[in-house]
Amino acid sequence: MRYSYFPGCTLYTKAKKLDDAGRECSLKLGFELDELPDWTCCGATFPLVNDQHMLMSGPTRILADTKDRGDDKLVALCSVCYNVLKRTNHVMLNDEERRAKITDFIERDYHGEVEVLHYLQVLRDEIGFDALKEKVVKPLEGLKVACYYGCLLLRPVKEIGLDRMENPTIFEDFIRALGAEPVDFPFKIECCGAFQTVNSMATATRCSREILSNAVQNGADLVITTCPLCQFNLDDRQPEILKEDPAFTTIPVFYFTQLLAVALGLDSGNLGFERNFINPLELLQEKGLV
Amino acid sequence: MSSPLLEKIITESGQPVNLCYQCRKCSAGCPMVDEFDFPPNMVMRMIQLGLEGELLRSRAIWMCVSCETCGTRCPNQIRIAPVMDVLRAECLKQGIEPADPTTVALHTSFIESIRQFGRVHEATMLLKYKFKSKKFTDDLDVGLKLFLKGKIPIMPKKSRNLSKIKEIFTKAGF
Repeated sequence: MRYSYFPGCTLYTKAKKLDDAGRECSLKLGFELDELPDWTCCGATFPLVNDQHMLMSGPTRILADTKDRGDDKLVALCSVCYNVLKRTNHVMLNDEERRAKITDFIERDYHGEVEVLHYLQVLRDEIGFDALKEKVVKPLEGLKVACYYGCLLLRPVKEIGLDRMENPTIFEDFIRALGAEPVDFPFKIECCGAFQTVNSMATATRCSREILSNAVQNGADLVITTCPLCQFNLDDRQPEILKEDPAFTTIPVFYFTQLLAVALGLDSGNLGFERNFINPLELLQEKGLV
Repeated sequence: MSSPLLEKIITESGQPVNLCYQCRKCSAGCPMVDEFDFPPNMVMRMIQLGLEGELLRSRAIWMCVSCETCGTRCPNQIRIAPVMDVLRAECLKQGIEPADPTTVALHTSFIESIRQFGRVHEATMLLKYKFKSKKFTDDLDVGLKLFLKGKIPIMPKKSRNLSKIKEIFTKAGF
């Protein structure tokens, strides 16, 4: 199976390991991520005001490029890109007036023909978690995982429709397929503070601290995420949390594709765990997984 | 209940702000409410009462990160994130000094990075932000660590479709 693939800006820089591991795992699982040539930024923000069309012209071009190369499915790994592309496509499919304005603006013919899929969705709906389970060579037994969804993978539910808003389970089902145990984690859909981490570090630190403490209290060994910005806030803000509260228990936070790569038996030396502030290698070694 | 501001917000955001009956579910779940000067439920009430000046000068409109938690839970299906977007745009349109100019600096730096490279390049984007916000020392240590861990490449990678992106900016009058 072959899909058009949109990595996005951050997966070429800070979140390179989210991308690398995602691509390597796809080959192991028998599907190909064919990167769109010459892609541009998705805009990283979906414009919410009715008359803002400019910000949707970028993602619409990306969707039209997918259609023009003959594909009807586009896969994204980054929660932000997924959110923007999926919602733009929702507008292109359902809102005639805005569609006309945007296609006129960028001089392209596009009517929402492409289906935008998150990588997790490919695993659930196209490969199937049962089939995934069979491909696992190193079941992650004894590993307790807090599955952090954040905001953009899920909301707004009417436009995204990946899972339920208050208690989604796609991530937990994925983790079970890898042989690990998802912990009860009520803060899994709370916001990490997002881009306010740049303007107001204290805010993002507070949000991250609440989320991580909840994961630790529920017995998690690690937190996984799909979003580069959440990963930054939850991992890289831990030194800041420690400054405020020396008794805080640190916890590794990394990308779900990195954990998938461990379960599929890919070379862990290549997974970039040393790039994390809280390095998970010791934990994974302790559990006999790497 | 009616005010020119209420009508304007309903039209531009498409959200039925008039239906808010102050159940406060939005404020109960808002991750940013501690940073707001007016909690989201109060923002709704202020729109209904037409308190435009107070709202456009508020910090709340800039601290909202559009996480959409409130919108997903509202019993009247009011999504507040688009409402905040309208208020932010209106603040800039009217030339009012934003209560939190650093958020504006960040958004502007981000868009400029896309215009320049077709993609976002974190190092130059954040450098621009530092100059605009004059927050030179914040996060210097984290930035340095990220750089040392190879997470921030120095050289930007341009998209080969950059000319198309520049065209969009020019057409939109930016």
